[in-house]
Amino acid sequence: MSGSTAGDLAKRDTERHILLAVDESDNSRRAVMYVADFFSDYRDVYVHVLSIIQEPSEDFFKTDEERSSWLAEKQASVEGKLAEYNDILLGSGFREDQVSSRVSVRRCTSIGQAILDEQKSLRCCIVVVGRRGISHSEEFVFGSTSNKILHNASHCAVMVVE
Amino acid sequence: MTSGNAPVSHQFTTDEIKDMIAARLGSNRIPKKFKIHTDTGDFFRIEYNDVVILDNTPFLFSRYEKEGRFGLDDEPKYWVRRAFNLFDGQTKVIKLVFHEEFESKLGDLVIKCFRSPKKEARILDLVADHPNFMHGYSCSDSGGNNVRILEYIYGNRLDEQVQKIVEDHYDYFHNFFPKILDVYIELVKAIKFLHDNGEKHGDIRRDHIFFDRERAVYRWIDFDYNYMHGESMFGFDLHGLGNIITFLCGKGDILVPELYRNNRKIFDTLWGEDLNISYKNRVANLRKVFPYIPESLNRILLHFSLGANIFYDDTNQMLDDLARARADVGTLTGR
Repeated sequence: MSGSTAGDLAKRDTERHILLAVDESDNSRRAVMYVADFFSDYRDVYVHVLSIIQEPSEDFFKTDEERSSWLAEKQASVEGKLAEYNDILLGSGFREDQVSSRVSVRRCTSIGQAILDEQKSLRCCIVVVGRRGISHSEEFVFGSTSNKILHNASHCAVMVVE
Repeated sequence: MTSGNAPVSHQFTTDEIKDMIAARLGSNRIPKKFKIHTDTGDFFRIEYNDVVILDNTPFLFSRYEKEGRFGLDDEPKYWVRRAFNLFDGQTKVIKLVFHEEFESKLGDLVIKCFRSPKKEARILDLVADHPNFMHGYSCSDSGGNNVRILEYIYGNRLDEQVQKIVEDHYDYFHNFFPKILDVYIELVKAIKFLHDNGEKHGDIRRDHIFFDRERAVYRWIDFDYNYMHGESMFGFDLHGLGNIITFLCGKGDILVPELYRNNRKIFDTLWGEDLNISYKNRVANLRKVFPYIPESLNRILLHFSLGANIFYDDTNQMLDDLARARADVGTLTGR
């Protein structure tokens, strides 16, 4: 996978960069298909596929080894999924230099906020996410990443694909 | 982890233990036979009147602690024991390692929960100087198990105190509730302290608040639960806080079937959106039942109703609303 790097930041204000935030779910795949369908004909649109893995607390595991092995497995699985998404985007007509992808493992209290932090640092003008369609009470207790992004995004457009 | 002034390590003999029991608790408390343990891994093996050496300190174990849930009889918690420190005679609650994983049901929602001794030990260190939490310390036994040694709280539960008030709701709300609301706000600030430090309580329930008679302060207990959170790390804690304020405002849970039986006029005014978001047999919109509840306070309750379209993200938002509600309760009641 190739694509523009953080070193290109100065150029970004004159280009169109999309942050496509994904996980391994079907709704993320739909978001990828949507971007592939709508933007692959644009030669000056760059897509950054990002997956954030929330670093799990030590509390969830009996030993550090268990935790490391969970994290390694999760990372490998997400990277596999990103390779699939990359193929979908390239298959739709994007050039290789228009697509980049990255897995970010980090400690964060909110994945939505972590995505918006990435949007700021990469200066992306559109954030695209899938939506799971959770129940009212599920959103109340667990929260909704897409709603968090919708409510807190600034200086960018947000596309929520259902 | 800190444990105060532990003596140098040595093997206690049975006679030494007997002398300590006699000195601290009286010679009539010396058990006829008992075992001395240093590894608590298999906690079912530790019987009543056995002695456990933890961090070089001998503890005489007695009864299991119990916990009642939702009207069921108290269930023994075999991994939580009352004990006496044989050096100073103080009563302690000792929590042994129990890696329990279970699914907690919240209405239709299923949440994967588990007990984490590590989490509770970490929070005990964090709240060592905070008055609104149970205090204690943790240590490893000879088998490497993370054991928590907690101060025993002499007092009763906040919810029991509220339910013992015999006045009707109008009198309760005007004469008792203002002070109870102050207590509640203090307790929410304590949870904010946890959240600000990146920790969740994990099991916020009304029976997890104790009034400490000796220090005249309310304390949160039992924070060894954890769960895999989603986007909202503190959503489950906030849900617990919502249930408690609703309980305190209503002087108990206001149940739909009871209104149907006893107050059909009010029952007929209720819509689905007036009910608790998770427990659909409880009323959240209490102003329909008790019209003197100020709007500002009722708006807080509505955040936890089926009709809510915005939720609290954090305790700061809730505390802002509580400050407004407290002012209005003061204006209404003069207290």
